[in-house]
Amino acid sequence: MKNRGLRFDPRIQFAMLALPGAAFVFVFLVLPLLSIVVFSFWRTERYELIPEWNLENYRIVLTDPTYLTFLLRSLVMATVVCLASVVYAWPVAYFIAKHGGRYRLVLVLLTAAPFLTGIVLRVTALQQILGPIGLVNMALMTFGFEPIEALMYSNVASAIGLVYLWIPFMIVAIYLSLLNFDFELLEVAKVAGARPWRAFLEVTWPLNWIGTAIGIVLVFVPTFAATVTPRFLGGPNGSLFGNILEHQFGATGTWALGSAMGVVLFLVSLAFILLIGRTIDPKRTGFTGIGR
Amino acid sequence: MTPVLDLQAVEKRFGAVTALSEVDLTIDRGEFFALLGPSGSGKTTMLRVIAGLERPDRGRVLVEGREVTALPPYLRNIGMVFQDFLLFPHKTVGENIVFPLRMQRRSRAEQQEQLAWVSRLVRLQGLEERYPHQLSGGQKQRVALARGLVSRPTLLLLDEPLANLDRELRREMEVEIRRYQRELGIPFVYVTHNQEEALTIADRMAVMYRGRIEQVGDKLDLYMRPETRFVAGFLGHPNRFSARVLEIADGRMLLDWNGVRLRQERRFETRAGETVELFLKSERIRLCRRPDEAAALPNRVPGRLQDAIFKGVFADCFVTLNNGAELVVAATPDAAGIPRESPVTLAWDIADAHAFPVEQEGGGS
Repeated sequence: MKNRGLRFDPRIQFAMLALPGAAFVFVFLVLPLLSIVVFSFWRTERYELIPEWNLENYRIVLTDPTYLTFLLRSLVMATVVCLASVVYAWPVAYFIAKHGGRYRLVLVLLTAAPFLTGIVLRVTALQQILGPIGLVNMALMTFGFEPIEALMYSNVASAIGLVYLWIPFMIVAIYLSLLNFDFELLEVAKVAGARPWRAFLEVTWPLNWIGTAIGIVLVFVPTFAATVTPRFLGGPNGSLFGNILEHQFGATGTWALGSAMGVVLFLVSLAFILLIGRTIDPKRTGFTGIGR
Repeated sequence: MTPVLDLQAVEKRFGAVTALSEVDLTIDRGEFFALLGPSGSGKTTMLRVIAGLERPDRGRVLVEGREVTALPPYLRNIGMVFQDFLLFPHKTVGENIVFPLRMQRRSRAEQQEQLAWVSRLVRLQGLEERYPHQLSGGQKQRVALARGLVSRPTLLLLDEPLANLDRELRREMEVEIRRYQRELGIPFVYVTHNQEEALTIADRMAVMYRGRIEQVGDKLDLYMRPETRFVAGFLGHPNRFSARVLEIADGRMLLDWNGVRLRQERRFETRAGETVELFLKSERIRLCRRPDEAAALPNRVPGRLQDAIFKGVFADCFVTLNNGAELVVAATPDAAGIPRESPVTLAWDIADAHAFPVEQEGGGS
């Protein structure tokens, strides 16, 4: 049979298929990012960007203790939020994957239901629960207990808020990984003498590490750049790197410095992603198709 | 002597389904035992109960005289080989094999020693550094066997271990597995739905059906002297037909099979006028070209040869009898040379066919 359809060189076919996606990424991701990089080497004067190339912005961000402190705070916050999300998301994802039956998909989507509203709304809602006149502390006081100060405008409140915001990513990532996981391997491990915890560490965890790592990246990146959550829940001492960065584009109008901060934020996130990537041994993922 | 395994009145239900009911079974030291049954007969559930992966609703499980009914699988030291191999994909062959030893906190030196021993036994030397996805099906199966055997368990359970291998490899592995069993002296409990495999590999076997053990004993006994209608109809893929009882005398029955008189042993209570079902294995039937060749045998039925399929060791002959029935006969291969439509006589002895009352609880297939 002769193929009468139009035929192109495979390389042209590839280019035609790749073009729309590549154009999208270029226009909406690469270009803005490039402009930020360019701005970061300029300077701002009286709310105006002046194209004079210099490294002053980076010198400030990387040597001024204020900025470094906020960078460190954001790093610590992102790490803590990631760890808490892993610990909390694993049992949830595991339960849904193993016992969800035909409602599995619905249950997973439900964990993401808060995404149907905006971030500001979600964080404000959380304020109603955690704040000084929030549900938790009001309830405590009604029954004659002391209110929990740590919940009111603090880094703990911020962390709770961030976990709440981004944990659906973690749950979905781990859940999708568990969908491909053969739970029978756990029975093999148990018959071979592994107690449940040992079986988890020997089999379940390593075989689902990629999914977990993806979840960690998905939670780390937005947490590291968080602005809204610390502003609403963190209180006066809860500002993070993102808040200071935001500030440069708003009140102070130092766009060039803000751009440099943005680049630093981007590079640190990238470094973190690469670091996580290093933990993945392609031979030991079990992702080699029919690996058994 | 205490048996290695002793199941006492074990019962297991899954919702409304009874997977095992009133199962009693003992397995002795060093024996190769096969559990045979169609799918859904409860044999895998039984294996899982023995391994501790399922807890029976009733009854007791004893291993070497010690009750383990409530003991989790990781405290039983029972080896198990699964149908889909289930190797750990993120561990090398060597790591897979020593896994049970690591769980038992054996020293590294001992792990290496046992690994060397078991790799030699299952002929896997040189593959220890590979990952499971780099192995062929047969090699994977050997790794699974090595992992099951490495800690020298009290008992090795094998759940359809050869079902995913092709025919050639299956033959080879059957012989291999028998060799491991003889060399180690560990009792093997081998689950399969393939009767040829069970008959080849095991010494003793049980046939399961609908969650019950229909018959247990020496494999030859089960094959030659089935005690239930199911076993009679299952092992050896026999011919089956019904006949009416005419007379009963001296432990024998005279039967009417659509106008043909048959003589048959009577091994159960029955009365004249009742219908019985007969199971007759094709290799028990003699195919005679001249009627006088069959004179010594009490049951003789004339018919015509429809077709003969040459199979090497024997030939499957399809014979339409004068009473309208059709029987399959496993004859010597030269029967393939008999012209079609030739008149032949089929003959068999009174004990060759197995008769059972038509209505028996749990029968049929």
